[in-house]
Amino acid sequence: MNKRIVYTTDDGTVAVIVPAESVELALKDVPTGKEYHIVDVADIPTDRTFRDAWIWE
Amino acid sequence: MANVVLSGNTSGAITIASPAVAGTNTLTLPATTGTLLTTTGDGSGLTDIAKLSTASGSAPSYSARAWVTFTGTGTVSIRASGNVSSITDNGTGDYTVNFTTAMSDADFSTLWMAQPTISNAGADTFAISPSTTDVTVRHWENNSPRDGDYCCVVVFR
Repeated sequence: MNKRIVYTTDDGTVAVIVPAESVELALKDVPTGKEYHIVDVADIPTDRTFRDAWIWE
Repeated sequence: MANVVLSGNTSGAITIASPAVAGTNTLTLPATTGTLLTTTGDGSGLTDIAKLSTASGSAPSYSARAWVTFTGTGTVSIRASGNVSSITDNGTGDYTVNFTTAMSDADFSTLWMAQPTISNAGADTFAISPSTTDVTVRHWENNSPRDGDYCCVVVFR
């Protein structure tokens, strides 16, 4: 699965949904009302040193 | 009411008895070769579900209702799973396991393990906020949130 679903949480950080089988199935796991973006896994940083400081731009 | 009695080559017999109530019930055997159901002794443990074929003793067996193994560092990714639609990477050492088919209630048991990345000392894993649709798991090392490397979550109910 080379796609991820990204949304901004209530506290301003970024949550990244990793689908198990398909993006379509995983879309139900986005909190109701949240704006989300489907991105390539390559767009997600692999350096997680400052993971809790990630923001969506 | 009628019964079907299967007599063995030696003493004893198996009786298939119809219930003493109105209505038609059908027992359909599988089309493939194999054993449909086996039991020992008084068949305890077969009241609600069939025993797992590998189970021993008379205590009932329960299967996992959801499970997932994933990498929690670098590129967070799912290795394999069952009844899991996705995991949500909420932040450092913080993941939510989302179920494909919801649980009947939130009173399930979550088994959660994560391979420490910096130190076995003070490593702690815990689960929070169980709901019918998901459960969140967290991993700490040395009193701080840390990503787990080899991560496993299993849910029993």
